[in-house]
Formats: sequence, C-alpha cells, structure tokens
Amino acid sequence: MTAAAARNARSGVARFAIRPALRRREFGLLAIVAATLVVGHASLASTEAGRLTLGDVHLLGAYLGALLVVHLAFVVTGRRMDQVLLPVVAMLGGVSLLVMERLPQDLVVQRFGGHSFGLADLQFGWLVLSLVLLGVLAILVRSDNWLRLYKYTWAAAGIALLLAVFVFGRDVNGAQLNLCLGPVCGQPSELVKVILVVFMAGYLADTRELLARSSTRVGPVRLPPIPYLIPMGAMLGIALGVVAFQHDLGSALLYFLVFLFLLYIATARLTYVVLGLLVFLAGSGILYELYPVVRLRVDIWLNPWADPQGAGYQTLRALYAFGSGGILGTGLGAGLPSAGGAPAIPVIQSDFVFAAIGEELGLIGALAILACYLVIAERGLRIAATAQDDFRALLAAGLTLVVVVQAAIIVGGNLRVVPLTGITLPFVSYGGSSLVANALVVGLLLALSDRGVEPPPPPRPRGRAFRSAGERIR
Amino acid sequence: MRLPRSGGRSGRGRTGRTDGLETGAPRIGRSVLRVAGVLGLVYVLLAGSLTYWQVVQADALTLNPANPLIQAAQETTLPGEILDSRGTVLAKSVRLSNGSQLRQYLTDPSLGPLLGYRSAMYGTAGLEAAEDGVLVGLAGQSESDLLLRKLRFRPYQPEDVVLGIDERLQAETERLMAGRRGAVVAIDPSTGQILALVSSPGFDPNAIANPATATASFTRLSSDAASPLLDRATQGLFVPGSVFKLVTSIAALGSGTITPQTTYPDQPAEEKTGFLVDGYRVIDGHHPFTGNIALNYTQALEVSCNIYFAHVGLALGGGRLVQWAERLGFGAPIPFDLPTATSQVTSGGGPLPGGFKDQVELANAAYGQAQVLVTPLQMALVASAIANGGVLMQPRLVIATRDQNGTTHPIGPSQWRNVVDPATASTIANAMEQAVSSAWGAPFAGLGKVPGVPTAGKTGTAQLGGSGEPHSWFVGFAPVKGAKIAVAVLLERAGSGATEAAPLASKVMADYLSLQQAAGS
Repeated sequence: MTAAAARNARSGVARFAIRPALRRREFGLLAIVAATLVVGHASLASTEAGRLTLGDVHLLGAYLGALLVVHLAFVVTGRRMDQVLLPVVAMLGGVSLLVMERLPQDLVVQRFGGHSFGLADLQFGWLVLSLVLLGVLAILVRSDNWLRLYKYTWAAAGIALLLAVFVFGRDVNGAQLNLCLGPVCGQPSELVKVILVVFMAGYLADTRELLARSSTRVGPVRLPPIPYLIPMGAMLGIALGVVAFQHDLGSALLYFLVFLFLLYIATARLTYVVLGLLVFLAGSGILYELYPVVRLRVDIWLNPWADPQGAGYQTLRALYAFGSGGILGTGLGAGLPSAGGAPAIPVIQSDFVFAAIGEELGLIGALAILACYLVIAERGLRIAATAQDDFRALLAAGLTLVVVVQAAIIVGGNLRVVPLTGITLPFVSYGGSSLVANALVVGLLLALSDRGVEPPPPPRPRGRAFRSAGERIR
Repeated sequence: MRLPRSGGRSGRGRTGRTDGLETGAPRIGRSVLRVAGVLGLVYVLLAGSLTYWQVVQADALTLNPANPLIQAAQETTLPGEILDSRGTVLAKSVRLSNGSQLRQYLTDPSLGPLLGYRSAMYGTAGLEAAEDGVLVGLAGQSESDLLLRKLRFRPYQPEDVVLGIDERLQAETERLMAGRRGAVVAIDPSTGQILALVSSPGFDPNAIANPATATASFTRLSSDAASPLLDRATQGLFVPGSVFKLVTSIAALGSGTITPQTTYPDQPAEEKTGFLVDGYRVIDGHHPFTGNIALNYTQALEVSCNIYFAHVGLALGGGRLVQWAERLGFGAPIPFDLPTATSQVTSGGGPLPGGFKDQVELANAAYGQAQVLVTPLQMALVASAIANGGVLMQPRLVIATRDQNGTTHPIGPSQWRNVVDPATASTIANAMEQAVSSAWGAPFAGLGKVPGVPTAGKTGTAQLGGSGEPHSWFVGFAPVKGAKIAVAVLLERAGSGATEAAPLASKVMADYLSLQQAAGS
C-alpha cells in the first residue's frame, strides 16, 4: 500500500496546482445545444398553448444551468479532457427532458414528503444528479488503480447486486428488474454493465497476449486457449444467467455483445467472434425453446400483424408513430401522446422513447439522435485508440460500447430490425438507474481522456499474467 | 484438460519480459478501428430502416385504419363530410354540448353497408374506415404541406369525401330492394363512377353511431341471420348462373375461339337428350321453341342456351377462360374504395389448365355453375366493360375530395384494363340487346328492357343444388350505344332472373336515365 499512498500524495499535490484552462470548443458546442433545446422548448410550449410562447422554462433553464456549472468546473480545474462528449450527452439529455415534458406527466408519479412529482420533474432530477456525477467523476478520478486492481472484487459486487435483485427484486413488466432501498428503486442491471466492463477490461488487459497467441489443441482442431477464458466466461455466464432468468433479455444481449466486441479488440481474433456467435445462436435457440417470453418476442418480430390488439400492439404502435412522423415529424407536442386515455405506445417514456422522437421530430430528428451515438462512438473509441496502456484502451472501448451498443439494441427493437428487448435508450429514456449508470460511463471516459491524468503503472513481468493474486502483492 | 502450448508459451513470455505492445500482441488501435467500422455499419442499417418506415412506408402506416392516430385526430377535429355526387350530405359530424362528437347520417338503410359507421364504441367500418385518413385529415398531404403542418397550430386538415352515388337513385333502389336479400351495383361504364351500391337488408348507421342505441343495435345487427352488416355488393360471393355467359363470351370471341356465326351441329339434338361430357349430362330444355335450329352465338345468348356455352367452354379450354376472366377482375380483390371479395371461375387445384377438376366442371363453369362465384360488383364490371367498347374503367366510389378551402380535388376517371377489342364488345352488346328485345329473348329478359330505350341485358338463374329457389340475376346496361348506366342485380333465392331481377334492373336504369334527362332539360 505504500506505493498507492505515494501516488495519492502525488495527486494531492496536483490538486493544489490547479491551472484553469478555457474549453472553447466545448463551450461553443454547448451553446449550440442550448439554442437547439430552447427552440425545441418554445416549439413544444407553442403547440401546447396554441400560440407563440416560450412556456415554462424553469426545468430547461435549470438543466442548462447545471450544464454550465459542469462546464465551468472543468474549466476552473483545468482539465484537458475531451470537449465533445459533454455537449453530445447534454443534447441527448436535453431532448429527453423535452420529450418527458411533452409526454403525459402521470406516466410516472412519485411522492416525496407531501409533494408529488411527475415525469418531467423526476427526469429532471435524475438528469441533474447524473450531470453532477459525470462532472465529479471526470474531475476527481485521477488514477485508475481503484478499478484496475480490484477487478474480481468489482465482479463479485456486480454479481452480488444481480443476485440481490433476484432475491429481493420487484417485477417490472414481467421482468424482475428493480431493487428498492426505501422509496428509491433502481435497476442494478444498468450498474452491472459498467462493472462487467471494468472486470473484462482488467482481465483482458492481463491475458490478451495469451488469448491472442495460444490455443488449445483438441485432436487436430486448434481452439482458443480455453483455460484462460474460463474465469471471464464464468463471470459472464453468471451475469447472463441471472439476467436471463429475470427475463431481462435486453441486458443479457448487451452484456454478451460488449463481451464479444471487447474480446475481439483485445485479441484481434475473428475465431472468438465466430465461436461467440455460434454460442449466441445456440443460447438463443435454447432460450427460444425454454422461455415463452422469448418465443413471443421473436414471433412478434416476425409478424406483429398476427395479433395487432395483443402481442403485436406495442410494436405496431411504434411503427405507426414512425410512419406518421414522416421526414420532418409532426413537431414537438403535435404527435400522438395518448389515445383513449392510455399512452399510444406502452412504456413510451423508456423502451419506446425513440418512437416518440421519430414521430415528433421526424426522420431528421431521429437521424440526429442516432448521429449523437455515433459521435459518442467516435470520441470513445478515439480515447481507446490513443490510451496509454491496454487496460485503459479496453476500458475506454468497453465503456463506449456499452452506450452505443445499448442504443443500437433498443433502436433496432423499435424499428423491428431485431426482436424487441426491453432496455433503455441511454441518456434519453426515462429512468434514474439508466441515467446514472450512463453518466458513470461518460464520466469515466472523460477522465480517461484527460492527458493530465496519472500515467498507468509500469507493465508487470510477464508470465504471471494469469495469477490474479500476484497483482495485489505487487 | 490438455494444455500443450500454454506451458511453452508462458516460458517464452518469462524470458521475453517485454510489455504486450512489443511482444507482438495485436495492436489494440487497429481492432478498435475495425469495431468502429462495424458499429458504423450497424448504425447505417438502423438509419436505413428508419428511413424505410418514415419515408417509404409512411403513408401506408399513417392511413392504416388501425392507426390510433386516426382515432385521436378525430378527437381534436371533426371528421369531414361524405357527400353524394350532387352535394347531398350523406354523413356529417357534429360536436355535442358535452364536447363529444356524433356522426349523423342521412336516414337510408342502404347507406349502412356502404358507408359503414363511425362510432365511439365500435370504431369505424365500411367507407368510413377506408376513407378515415382523408376524413380526419391525415391523407393527401405533400411533404411541403407536412412542413407547413408543423408550423400550424391545427395539425389536421379534415377533408370531405364526394361519392359518385346519386342519393336519389340509391334511395329509390333501396326502396325497390326493401324486404329482399340481395345487392344492386350501378356504374357509369364510361367513367367507372359508381352510381348506386345497395346491399339489402341494410341498416341505419345512425343506430350504431348514436351511443344511446349503439350497443343494442350492434348486438341485434351482428346476430341477425340476414347479415345486414355485410356489404353483399362487394363482399358477397354468389353463384352467377347464366350471367357468367358474358364472361365466357368475352373469352371465346375475344380469343377467336368462336365467331358470332359459330354453331354446334349436335346442339339441337342434345337439347332433348342432354350433352354428355365424361358421363355427365348437361341438360337444358328451357327453349323448346328453337327446335332443330343449330343456334349461332347471338341466338344462343338470346335464349341462354347452356349446351351451346358448354361447347364453347370446352373449345375454349380452362386456361383461357380463367385468363380472360382475370382481365375482368376475377382471381384477385378488385382495387376499390371498399374491400372486395375475390371472384373465381374455379376453386382451382385441379389437373386441367386453369385449375379445373375435369371437363365436367369446365363445361358447367362456362354457363356459370360449378365452382364459379362472383360478387355483384364484379358482374357490374363485366357489363361495364362490354358497354364501354371493351375498356374497363377503374371503378370509383369516391370521385373527389374537398379540402377546407372548398377546393375540390377530383379522383379519376382512369382506365383500369383494356379487356377486349371494340368489335367483340359490340357483338356481345348486340346479342344482349337481342336478349332483351327479340322474340326469342323477350320471354327471358324482356322485363329488363327500359321502356323507350335500347337496352342490353342478360338474366341469370343460379341453381344452388338442393331444394329452394335459385339466385335471380340481371346484368345489363342502357342505352346500348353510349351507355350511361350498367347494372348488376342479384336477388338471393328469389327465383328466376327473368321475373325477379330483370324488372328491378329495368326500373333502376329507367330511374337513372330519367333523373339524367331531368337534369339535362
């Protein structure tokens, strides 16, 4: 622990020598985001009021204020971090705020001490909390040792969380997802995705050379070095098993895809991807046979018109929304929030928020949202490619993938490209767990992009890579 | 587990003592780039399918009657009116004092099967459902309109729908049909405009639109054995009997299989003994007065000779019969403002060309029995094609929409199919005129004649097997040259075409022509 103490002391010194540095690009982009959101808000308020008005800008104003505070904190602390990620996230979060203001407020209501808060209030609260978390992580994380050194601890904690949901969880839409502490409920599977990435990055950084180069021979067939895959495979297997058992298919799919991508990035071996996809197909087949839920989802995907009032209802409603949006959209507030007192699309605020955007902002708006995720992908993978060592590269890549792949899964589900699996659209869907977890992701990415952050520890002697105990001794 | 390589590998690693980047572990940057490429492709795919739904499929999705948007649009805006060709309001919406809205219909039970209904409880049906997108203001907007829509505070622009129906003719036809089961379709052959479309028994759509009576009415109507909710004109499938000889005529004359002079020498004898086809006897015997004369085409149509047309059918062959029928609209739903049932010449699946089971089926089908099933609309189209010189116009109920500025946007007329050459059409038209007017024909179709107007027509008496009356059919048009109206009349189990359907058709055509005359003078 002496080395760690010395390191802490060093970063302590760094904290005294704060040199503020302007972040012009970030400021410019944030200004564009703010202008866009204000126009959007005015458009929404005008449509709802039936006359030109700016409407009630309290929430949006406070949101923009929080953004400014985070930006200023970065400036004051002189962080030399990526300047694009914050504006992109701010844009997605802002669109989320507008959409939540626009949807029926009673979709989600919570009471705190005599006051009841509707959809937009709650989402605003979570957005601000997420921004704070993102800012704090980006500024305060000066070393990655706390992630790097304790990967098994993290993994154990993640599995423990999932198991806790399993034991104490509450059902949401037929899936056992929520864990509640007093009045606050959350979906641990969102947090677990970050933890899994940390574990996989740490594990792969240690073993990637072995995984890339060596093989297990079974007769004449050369297979990947199976023994080295076992710990990670076991971890992933447990996570997948638990979420699949909870019918959280979206999370299971996300974990698996991110795992495959990371494995490929670490080893550059297509064999893994092919094997992984084979395992995936086999697993899907088993799930299809075992779980009526999976069968139903696939059937709906293939033909939602078979049961338009029952199973296919959600999917069809989403398609109608996309269709009526057309190229330019109906405009915020002019779409179809509810039909006959019920939301036009069930869970429009989370799983189907992209359909709501497609309807009101049109093809143009929906494409812009997709572009935002591509920008996140570009920035995150750039951070990965220029990282100082393997762990950081894999961590940055994994964190990026978690956001971008998750968005692709749910957007693809909305668009009937893949079967629908319930999962949130990062930064846009309603929900505290999702926002907080994704803020965690971007906060870490920003910290990793900081050129002023503490350099990684020197590479360890080879040959013990597989012996995790050795790490802690070092 | 055997690990033949791992030991050696780790040994080399120990001596190597360099970090991963230098020992030849693959460079992360490169695989990150590939992953970025894959992600890019995935997002391009997503963008592509987004574009598919939002551009290519946009109209189809928006106007789908199941789209809740239509229901919702209706809550904020009153749907447009439905008018007849003269501007008579057939359906309109009013806002009630409690904020809800009510659809009100002209009281005419024949409007039920045609217009359907618009009800808070039972949704929409019939034309109300088919034209819902237009009526509530979702259809027909160009992209520039849509852009403007974003800037307007009222997003929907309900439009009125103008029908080709003349409500006076519709009401009169309904009166003639009162108490009977069946359907009448009247069409202007030169434009395809539907002039009247009656299915009987009908129902008053007000009974379902009005919440006070909706449940009771709907329960009563849907359990009624006479199926008043069914639009027989477009959805009902009936054995046509002899009116189908017109289709056989078009096929045989159009393909050159027969000429108007073709005779079958055995036919007079077979009138007495029956025409033996593969052990089955086609019997006729309802025109003994033709005696030993071998009938030519015109004469055969005049007296509706089954044996003649059975010969024609066999000469023609099943393949050609089906092919020509398809030109007229058989074999697929007719593109129309309302959903249509598919008329058929045979149930198919048989070994013979066209899917006929055997020669017997083909011979019987040629004069409209066996497995032939038609909608009244389909038969009106057959008459219409003959009346219009072989050119089939696209049938249209809706002839225009009228936007909120009062501007009318006409729909059609447009040609649908060129079925047969004008000479053939004229030959058949003349034969149909003879069928109504000549000494031989008059006993069968004479009552179909419009007094004082050259009329073409063909009766049908469709045998249904077992006991009970046959379906009574009449298909025709008037005047023969430059026809203004073509009709198909079907009376379910009403008896012979000559005594039941023909006089009714005559009245419908006469009514329309006199209405036209009154308007012209």
